[in-house]
Amino acid sequence: MKLRDLKSLIKLVTDTDITEFNMENQEEKIHIKRGSNQEVIHVSSPVAPVAAATPGAPAQVAPAPATAVAEPVVDDNYDSVSSPMVGTIYRKPSPDADPFVKVGDIVEAGQTLCLVEAMKLFNEIEAEFKCKIIEIVKGDATPVEFGETLFIVEKL
Amino acid sequence: MTSRDKILSLFRTHPDHYISGQEISRSLKISRAAVWKQVKVLRELGFEIEAKHSQGYRLLTTPDLLLAADIENGLDCQIMGQSVVSFPEVDSTNVQLRRLAEDGALEGTVVVADRQSAGRGRLGRRWESPFGVNLYCSILLRPQIPVQQASQLTFLSAVAVAETLNKVCHMSAKVKWPNDILIDGAKISGLLNEMNAETEQIHFVILGIGINLNMTADQFPDELKYPATSAFLETGETVNRLVFLQELLQCLDRYYSEFLTDGFIPIRRRWENLCNMMNMHVEIEQGHGSICGTVVGLDPEGALRVQLDNGQMERILAGDVTPVDKIDQE
Repeated sequence: MKLRDLKSLIKLVTDTDITEFNMENQEEKIHIKRGSNQEVIHVSSPVAPVAAATPGAPAQVAPAPATAVAEPVVDDNYDSVSSPMVGTIYRKPSPDADPFVKVGDIVEAGQTLCLVEAMKLFNEIEAEFKCKIIEIVKGDATPVEFGETLFIVEKL
Repeated sequence: MTSRDKILSLFRTHPDHYISGQEISRSLKISRAAVWKQVKVLRELGFEIEAKHSQGYRLLTTPDLLLAADIENGLDCQIMGQSVVSFPEVDSTNVQLRRLAEDGALEGTVVVADRQSAGRGRLGRRWESPFGVNLYCSILLRPQIPVQQASQLTFLSAVAVAETLNKVCHMSAKVKWPNDILIDGAKISGLLNEMNAETEQIHFVILGIGINLNMTADQFPDELKYPATSAFLETGETVNRLVFLQELLQCLDRYYSEFLTDGFIPIRRRWENLCNMMNMHVEIEQGHGSICGTVVGLDPEGALRVQLDNGQMERILAGDVTPVDKIDQE
């Protein structure tokens, strides 16, 4: 999991009354525990990534497979909507218009959530299912990476 | 094709001949009354059609309209223009084509209009689209390529538009990264490309193309972000819109077929040959600040390769690029 994703995960957990959170997949195990005065965050990888074992390899985390990045499931109740390409996100159809969606909005399948532009090619990102917008991760007119989470939504 | 288009097509394939109402009715499988009604519609559109007793109808003159039957007639393409839909007036050709695409329209479907009431550009900006003078069209593609490569099509349409302007109107159009088409620095065309895709599959890409062909100076709005021009303003000659559109579709057809078999490299080379800032010192405005360097070319994804003043290579994915004088540091 990317550091950024981990940060949003911690924020999500701390924004609620949840005191303990566990998540496990093929690559990693995450355990977040909140006490009255302490917060414990533990991340472990059952299998060490090959790149990390190579001497002299860059210290940064090797990119996870595309499928894993595209679907960073945050919580059993939440799904994420990620960018299918590198580009710039636009949360409004034009600079003076209202955003396509706001936190708390309930959107229908096929409804536009935002635009991602890559070199004058505009891609309308649509909701794949009826959902509620839980968090808007990226700000208007900011750069986005391939597979980067744009929205966290709750499937309805 | 509508009945009207089919009648027009019959006239086109029998130039200067009388075609009887019965013959038209038989070949289109519509009633004689319906034939008469369509002839009336054509006359209202400005077609001069002679009706001679016992001989039939004959087409005398054609108004300057872009009609599907005329566009398809003699079009030499493998993919583009498989189906052409023409409107005298439409909100936006991209909007109409998107509807057709969602209903399963074939790759190469073209929507063209003589006027757009809500022609639009990037980020909801308005694209001025007066009647009968310019070209407003949208083309549907369904490429089986990774989503990440779709923006390469931006360069394909820019190259095709610039080369068609140069060929048909004898101009020297240049491209500004990524897809502005400029004549001596003035904008002559607006290209708006839209994609519908999932993470791993492109459903369709719409190439939206607006080109100022015969627009006169008084038809431009007073407030424009960029200086703008038209082919007529540059050359003093009226462009035959039909001939231009057919040439453009044929050019797009060749380059798209080539793109599907040989990839992006040939388009990249052509784009670099047309680029107005190759090897020039430029400033790139990126919202949070600007950087300066020399334009080296396109990278395999279409990003602009710029060698910064400190020697480092930079990939530009977004931002406005303008030429600046190099300040000598020594």
